[in-house]
Amino acid sequence: MVRNNPFNWIFLILSSLVLLFILAPLAGMFLDTTSVEFMETVKDRDVQESIWLTLWVSFAATFLFALGAIPLAWLLARKQFPFKNIVQGIIDLPVVLPHTAAGIAILGFISRDGALGKAADTLGLTLINNPAGIALAMAFVSIPFLINSARDGFAAVPERLEKAALTLGASRSRVFFTISMPLAWRSIVTGFIMMFARGMSEFGAVVIVAYHPMIAPVLIYERFSSFGLKSARPASVLFIIVALAVFILLRFISLRKKETYLTPDAQAQ
Amino acid sequence: MLRLNNISKRLGEFSLSGISIRISAGEYYVLLGRSGSGKTQLLELIAGLNDPDSGEIWIDNENVTAKKIQERNVGLVFQDYAIFPNMTVFGNIAYSLHCRKYSKTIINREVKRIAEELNITHLLNRFTYNLSGGELQRVALARTLITSPKLLLLDEPMASVDASLKDDIKRTFRQLNKKGLTIVHVTHDFREAVSLASRVGVIHNGRIIQEGSPEGVFRRPVNKFVARYAGIRNFFRVSFSNDKDTWKARCDGNLVFRLPEDRYPAKGLLIVRSDAIKIHNSEPDPGNDNRYKGIVKEITPSENGMEVIVDAGELFYVDVSSDEFKMLNIREMSDVWISFAPESGIALQGNV
Repeated sequence: MVRNNPFNWIFLILSSLVLLFILAPLAGMFLDTTSVEFMETVKDRDVQESIWLTLWVSFAATFLFALGAIPLAWLLARKQFPFKNIVQGIIDLPVVLPHTAAGIAILGFISRDGALGKAADTLGLTLINNPAGIALAMAFVSIPFLINSARDGFAAVPERLEKAALTLGASRSRVFFTISMPLAWRSIVTGFIMMFARGMSEFGAVVIVAYHPMIAPVLIYERFSSFGLKSARPASVLFIIVALAVFILLRFISLRKKETYLTPDAQAQ
Repeated sequence: MLRLNNISKRLGEFSLSGISIRISAGEYYVLLGRSGSGKTQLLELIAGLNDPDSGEIWIDNENVTAKKIQERNVGLVFQDYAIFPNMTVFGNIAYSLHCRKYSKTIINREVKRIAEELNITHLLNRFTYNLSGGELQRVALARTLITSPKLLLLDEPMASVDASLKDDIKRTFRQLNKKGLTIVHVTHDFREAVSLASRVGVIHNGRIIQEGSPEGVFRRPVNKFVARYAGIRNFFRVSFSNDKDTWKARCDGNLVFRLPEDRYPAKGLLIVRSDAIKIHNSEPDPGNDNRYKGIVKEITPSENGMEVIVDAGELFYVDVSSDEFKMLNIREMSDVWISFAPESGIALQGNV
């Protein structure tokens, strides 16, 4: 596979070092966790609840925000409008912000003095220390992954397929649901999974908005700061295993669909 | 049937300007132009995929300029067919019927009928990614024809089809046209125009530069661009003069052509069709024809036999049939005579 020349060997060694850098700490953590510790953590109700909370809140946040993110992605892929670059910049903003700063911003927005907080208050709902607040914090930091991936997916759908559907009598919405969405499906699902995974692993923004109820990353931090590394390790291992299992399962279920072949758009005549 | 009144549309650097076309019901109109000439944009305007900046589009005495695409009842077959890759052949053909919310029974019946008509029944359950160009085209055609369009627009329909299938497809188009379907066919290939069109429009840089019957357009091209399209390769830059009631055209290289009585500009181009020039082994009988002695420079096989290039002071491209070529027994560097009737010369004004 790798031919015997120095260039290939140097690249192979450098690549291996990077992979080792990712895998070694994880492997160390797994190896340092005894099966007894691990089984105790599995049975720990607080750990179970926090992992379950993390999973469903992140999924719900991704699902709800996808309803707006997918149309936005389509607009970015298909339409030209004033300040489009600025809109694209705004979308990428959460990726570059320090997540604690993002948490502070969200907190200001959902506290009783903030716009959304006030609105929720009138409905008798408190967003701080509530799964709804956690969902907002998760979505804030992870939504660029969905928008950008879906936008790339829509942009890769040849526009003439949408035009062809229009000439066959389809309405704009029918074209969207029968042509654009199915053909961009892989990218949308990839973005969905990335947003879900990113939301699930969020700590900085969530911890400011809601220390309780505890999502898994907050629980791991709390165990570490209160009881030390030995106590935090089994919870981390369990969370990683569950997250990986869900991640693999989602990818498997959603991408089982037949590969769709897209040909690039014909050059404008 | 279709009337375009002074259509203009700006598309970035390029613009369609002042396009007016009238197409009668049942006509087969071929719009001929190079890529980038605006022909596809014009089709998209007719279909309603774009709106013109000015001008009107009338279909069946109804102004459809502001009408939605879905209400125009115009079928458009795209250059690369734009088949939906996420659907089977059946799904593609049935798409428009699903849009119109027909019942399953009607959809099945109609899809089957059109598939039989176009010989693609065996493909109905297949996905489209491994179909051949010819098969994809039939699917695209079936998908469009099932909507019973008033007007069929074909965008370079032969561009992605093997040469061996072209005759079949032409036959299909002719049959559809014979049944009364009005067709507007866009192409860059004048041979398609000759073999299919009842009328031809030549589009160049966003303008229609000549319109008429295929014979009219290709026998009397209005400029060098159209002449090139008609496969004419003999162009001579000349000055025209009238000497004792005889019109003559003198080339830069001093060769003189006699021309029929007509009105000529002072300077311009003279074109002669390759098939209007005859080659002789010896000096032909003196007559009214233009006659010149020359040397065969090159002989290359062509579609209809051989193309012989003769240097007679100017280079002449001459089409010779295979039988004629055998009889002539000429080879490169042979001395030959060429002749053509004065009426074969077509004068084009100015530096066109």
